[in-house]
Amino acid sequence: MDNTGLIPPGLTYLADNITSKDNLLGVSKEVGASWAKDLSLPKEAETIFFAGCGYQYASELESMMSLIRKVDKSAIGTELTMNLASFPKKLGIDAAGIFRKVMVKGSESDAQPLKDAVKVLSNLGINVGYLGDEEPCCGGLLHYIGLQKEFARHGQQVYDRLKSRGVKRIIGIVPSCTYTLRNLMADSVDGYDLEVKHFCEVVAAGISSLELRFPREVKVTYHDPCQMVRYLGLVEEPRQILGAIKGIELVEADWTRGEWSTCCGGGGGFEAVFPELSQILAVNRVKELVETGAEIIVTNCPGCIMQLETGLKELKEDSVEVLDLAQIVAMAMEV
Amino acid sequence: MSVFSEYKKEIMDAAHNERIRLALSRAITSYRANTNDALKRFPHTIKMAEEVREIKAKAIGEMESLAQQAVEAIEYNRGKAYIAKTADEALKIIGELVGKGKLIVKGKSMTGEEIELREHLEEMGNEVYETDLGEFIIQKLNSRPMHILSPAIHVPKEDVAELFSGITGEKLPPDDIGRLVATARELLREKYFQADIGMSGANVVSADTGTLFLIENEGNIRLATGAPPVHIALVGMEKLVPTLGDAFKVSEVTWRYANYTVPSYVSLVSGPSKTGDIEKVTTFGAHGPKELHVIFMDDGRTELAKHPILRQALYCLRCGGCLYECPVFAVTAGHFGDKYFTGIGAVWAAMIGRNNKEKAASLAYTCLTCGRCKIRCPMEIDSAAMCVELRKMIAEGD
Repeated sequence: MDNTGLIPPGLTYLADNITSKDNLLGVSKEVGASWAKDLSLPKEAETIFFAGCGYQYASELESMMSLIRKVDKSAIGTELTMNLASFPKKLGIDAAGIFRKVMVKGSESDAQPLKDAVKVLSNLGINVGYLGDEEPCCGGLLHYIGLQKEFARHGQQVYDRLKSRGVKRIIGIVPSCTYTLRNLMADSVDGYDLEVKHFCEVVAAGISSLELRFPREVKVTYHDPCQMVRYLGLVEEPRQILGAIKGIELVEADWTRGEWSTCCGGGGGFEAVFPELSQILAVNRVKELVETGAEIIVTNCPGCIMQLETGLKELKEDSVEVLDLAQIVAMAMEV
Repeated sequence: MSVFSEYKKEIMDAAHNERIRLALSRAITSYRANTNDALKRFPHTIKMAEEVREIKAKAIGEMESLAQQAVEAIEYNRGKAYIAKTADEALKIIGELVGKGKLIVKGKSMTGEEIELREHLEEMGNEVYETDLGEFIIQKLNSRPMHILSPAIHVPKEDVAELFSGITGEKLPPDDIGRLVATARELLREKYFQADIGMSGANVVSADTGTLFLIENEGNIRLATGAPPVHIALVGMEKLVPTLGDAFKVSEVTWRYANYTVPSYVSLVSGPSKTGDIEKVTTFGAHGPKELHVIFMDDGRTELAKHPILRQALYCLRCGGCLYECPVFAVTAGHFGDKYFTGIGAVWAAMIGRNNKEKAASLAYTCLTCGRCKIRCPMEIDSAAMCVELRKMIAEGD
């Protein structure tokens, strides 16, 4: 795919996964879809929930990153990371799979934001379908890597598959997938006519009809994912939602909020090319957020969540947790 | 090691350097506070930035004719002006003007850095003094600039004290910054008056009058371009705008986003020094330089201007604001860069001068594509989009 040898290999590895396995991590699609097995969501519907790779393969992503970071930090790191992308493949090692087994955390807890998002939508009277193991990878990363031709080809396939299932509207949960489906594909696919919204937009529009109370009094801060705030342009919606929940006090960073939000250090595949630097940036971002005195960092991006959790761990901030906004809303509905 | 590995090692070393991080985190905090104050005090700047964006967008498409017009205006003002197609041509013109064995005092110029002008003149057998304090420190440290406006942003006061103590043979305490500044002033003072040639860049140039705008706070540019008998200015063609009025707007927006309400000095230079005070006979070289030479350099700029996405790199005013908002720059400083820094620096590396493709690729893939620099940029330059475009050119081999 890379004729020039100038694409950092960490990225060609991910790109190969998208084009050959139709998901970022190159693992089986059934694994990704397992979170929804008890929800009996219809596979054919005009409005579908788009779960995205990030949450569906969160464990795999996390194990992969943990492996990459270990290699990157070792003495021979600089050269080895270059080859890391190819070595699991060459050796036939399913690195993600191995690490998945040794990691304590299972896919159930990773997929909680997805389950909660579907529940929140259903409480708002919005019933969605889910393509399950047939949900395509949006392929957005291909665009950011610079493989625009691949992206255009992949985008056409995604569009065709969605159309063949009768899909008209998409509610996305991962900001990056949502932006890809809403903007990038509209630019690259002729006659693109899918209506794409982010979960937050849909929830913010219906939130006033609900009585929401968080189980306890809590200070939360909000981390705007880059794709959410500077790509999708959604600044007010998450704050509107948090503001509608009783018991939640929103405390925000001085400068680095909204459009000035600091990147978590995982953007455009950066974390696969510069794993250690990415971790340093995660720590820096977490420091800004923790300074607010919040007990919970709320965000809505699986990549950001992974990064922020890494940052918290590095800083040994055990008393702060990171949750997706969907989890917060679901918790506030239960009371 | 490959270019990428070498580069990655360099930025990781920087990222583990606590001093860089400390120096930058202080700089970022004060930059944000100062800029907010400046914009609050002069709120019209935001609207003016929109106007300047239009001026620049149009001027970038007309660089060649603007350069021609500026050359004519400067010649009309009895200066000399030249258009250099390449960096080599610019170095040749300047080399011929300077010759060897000269003493040169220089104002800070990123365009000069771009073509390694100082090194070239030194190799030719000249003695060159950088007079901007930060640049002077960098020169003496044998280092390279790490920020476009504050080249020594990564050097803490302890290192400056040690450096200056070494030069003067006198033990200078790091906490007395006033004394460190006074030391540099002493070291450079007499050079201005001994120098054969003064050199500068320009922040913006009006093509109609051929006027160079030189924005500064230290006063070194006034001395370096005022005291010696010859003033040579090297200007990238992207600095040209049609009128004097346009140039004032560009200047005001530049310094405001560079965190100043107003800078201490703005020099407007349109021709050599002259007087008609004795019998109305125009005589050149009254108190200022007898000769003014201005070199407008292309070196890939007119080609870059043709690219629909990458051309916006030329709108850059060099205010440096974006650098303070880049999360990677905050821990690596200018190591995330080539001649210019961060994502936009990748475009310069790829398109201007030597076309350093491998370095450009390394930089393009270091951009987080987070887009915060665009929020800061008065020209709304979309570095993330440019980096993705560069990646496309790299990946697809265009």
